[in-house]
Amino acid sequence: MRKVFITGIGSISSLGLTVEQQLKSLRDARSGIGKATHFQSVYTAQLPFAEINASDDELKKLTVCADPGVTRTTLIALKAFQEAVADGKLSQQQLSDPRTAFISSSTVGGMCYTDSLYADANNKGETSEFYASYEGSNHTLQIVKKYELKGYTDTINTACSSSANAILLGTRLIQSGRADRAIVGGADCLAKFTVNGFNSLRILNETPCRPFDEHREGLTLGEGAAYLVLEAENLVGDKKRYAEVKGFGNANDAFHPSATSDDARGPLRAMRDALQSAELSPFDIDYINAHGTGTVNNDETESFAFITIFGKQVPPFSSTKSYTGHTLAAAGAVEAIISVLSICHGEIYPNLNFEQPISGRGLIPVTKLQQNKQIKHVMSNSFGFGGNGTSLIFSKCT
Amino acid sequence: MYIKEVCAISPQLTYGTEFESGHFELHDKGILYAIEPSYLDFIPASLLRRMGKAVRMGIGAGLPLVKKYPGIEGIIIGTANGGLEDCIRFLNQIVDYKEGVLTPTSFVQSTPNAVAGQLALMGEKTGYNSTHTNGSLAFDNAMLDAQLVLETAVKPMELLIGAVEEISDYNYNIDTLNSHYKSESITNEELIRSTTAGSLCGEGATMCVVANTADHAIAEVVDQFQVCFPGKEELTGLINNFLDKNGMSPKDIDLLLFGNSGDGRTDHWYNDLQQELFPDKQITTFKQFSGDYRTAGAFGCYVAVKLLQGNHRIYGFDHLRRPRTVLVYNQFGGERHGFILLRGNQASIA
Amino acid sequence: MEISRDDLKLEFKQHLITYLNLLDIKVEDIKDDEPLFGGDLGLDSIDSVEMIVLLDREYGIKIKNPTEGRQVLVDVNTIVDYIIANRTK
Repeated sequence: MRKVFITGIGSISSLGLTVEQQLKSLRDARSGIGKATHFQSVYTAQLPFAEINASDDELKKLTVCADPGVTRTTLIALKAFQEAVADGKLSQQQLSDPRTAFISSSTVGGMCYTDSLYADANNKGETSEFYASYEGSNHTLQIVKKYELKGYTDTINTACSSSANAILLGTRLIQSGRADRAIVGGADCLAKFTVNGFNSLRILNETPCRPFDEHREGLTLGEGAAYLVLEAENLVGDKKRYAEVKGFGNANDAFHPSATSDDARGPLRAMRDALQSAELSPFDIDYINAHGTGTVNNDETESFAFITIFGKQVPPFSSTKSYTGHTLAAAGAVEAIISVLSICHGEIYPNLNFEQPISGRGLIPVTKLQQNKQIKHVMSNSFGFGGNGTSLIFSKCT
Repeated sequence: MYIKEVCAISPQLTYGTEFESGHFELHDKGILYAIEPSYLDFIPASLLRRMGKAVRMGIGAGLPLVKKYPGIEGIIIGTANGGLEDCIRFLNQIVDYKEGVLTPTSFVQSTPNAVAGQLALMGEKTGYNSTHTNGSLAFDNAMLDAQLVLETAVKPMELLIGAVEEISDYNYNIDTLNSHYKSESITNEELIRSTTAGSLCGEGATMCVVANTADHAIAEVVDQFQVCFPGKEELTGLINNFLDKNGMSPKDIDLLLFGNSGDGRTDHWYNDLQQELFPDKQITTFKQFSGDYRTAGAFGCYVAVKLLQGNHRIYGFDHLRRPRTVLVYNQFGGERHGFILLRGNQASIA
Repeated sequence: MEISRDDLKLEFKQHLITYLNLLDIKVEDIKDDEPLFGGDLGLDSIDSVEMIVLLDREYGIKIKNPTEGRQVLVDVNTIVDYIIANRTK
């Protein structure tokens, strides 16, 4: 099977509008979590959010997009897509090549403007500008149209593991020979729909999330978009190669619609399958970018899974959601890029807001920036509602 | 990839044997609601009480297959919109109660991956699980995903794949704003011949057991192809290439099964392709049965499988010769075009 | 008009069936002193949140967190007592 390399990256989050800006925030231990100013909700007064520091109008300027009916989901997707494609030096001809796939993902998708959807769905008031943009895959279609993409296109929604599955699928498409190149990732913006949804489940923290801490009280919602350019080894030539997509595992916890199991069967299977497909042993993993949402349930289950697989030698790990918040469908791709930066720069970005290990688990994440490290293999986890879980392994190019 | 069994909940009596025996369910109210089985016979009330229609239909069509085929390891679903009714019910609460105290059930049930998640939970399937939400290509995406999983499996493997879409008042309103539906009143029997704008709205769940071995297979998925926003001539060339890639040419296709929706604005896509590449081939349609919805192509595959098995009794199909190969073509709004090439089980034909 | 404790029980049980969409359960199936969780009703943590919403919308009672809720949401008797003591509508 041919190897699949990452040759371009693009990302936007509360840490910055570009990968470069985000890298600086990660190194400076500067979290993107704070008070939301663009997002409109009663909860902005009570809860912290990890908001992208740009209004819709600013994003339209940044992406040079004046199309009507374009939602914030599409705008942030477009911004990260443009950066990834430019970074991967893809020509228009390569973009329109039938052997270039585009796999995106989103949970809130086109439903990010709750109030206009409310009006249009209930036939109240004048039809809004967004009436044709509500589908979950609308941002994908807009990008397909704008860049005249002719290859395989897809949109995935497996909740919080969505863009991890986009990376997984793009890799398999290339491995199978059905595509030579794939642009993969996802986008989710802050929306009343998700904020109220997570709030109704009582899993939002009133202070910035504290993954893996004994006193963690829930997650912090964020927004973000990230795309990676994946290319088959025979196409890469002398292009920059950030990392190789080495292994992946996708499994279902089959336990509860909105909680993970005590025995971590889904996460364990995903992580084990990832190691197996990468042909690596647990001891080869130099760093784990954990799912680490900061909910009582997830971090307990994920810690149990770490201990089960790695025993007493759990590798250095951190949840960078303490910086970016939980960007839902985008999280897998946002964190894949952080994992790739970790490999390229030999750095581990810390888990912020950690004080005390979870009792009975005793796991302590990386809490200070570590540099000049040899990072060969990184595991990146994403677990979500519906029992969906995916674990990816990225490796240094040899 | 091989298909072992198919099951559908649709606006026809597909859950029993009536549809296959020639019964045609006439719908004259402009909306083709699915005819649902009595779920309490096989879904515990404690679980059913939380399920919206999309989840219910998905479980109703999928769970019996999951139970019947213990070898099924994973579940892959395509749905453009998932549980919209729950989704908008939750959204309405947000606005009506001004982001006050809200009930989480609608939120959890509204996520499109709730169908695959619930099937995994009820069938205790911890293997590969994914949900594709790529509009009218969502089922095609699910099918290719399954193909990738199966062809890399080192042992015989089965998966459940399927598609679900529900009609809710809300998406009906939004699609009406998008002028997807006819303003005049016609029945589903008259739908395909209609040339005015819009179609009739339908819904349903279609589930298939697929495998990487041919044992007890009823059909084979040869390959599939998709493209967005093609030009007319471009599409002809692409389909030629697609068939060529599979060692075929247009003459090898015995039957074209088209997703004509009676929408005068977009049905030309089917007619043009037929005239260009398949002028003397058998051709028929399936949306007179299912109505139009994003992932209706899955129901097209259901019908194709029945035809490949030699069923002549389906309403209006008595004149068709039993095909060995069927090309299912479905597009929605002229934007996304999906093609699925199916072949009958050669052993059963011989 | 003051509603009697028995009528309130009946009303609450009806709300319970509606809010939790308890398909095959009738008012008479829910006993006043039967534990709501871990019993025959098959209720779980999501239902406790649904009940908090019920108390808010029907009786104007705000319960801040599930822990506080656990002390109240024991059985019909405890809930009805709590409603009588704390209702604002």
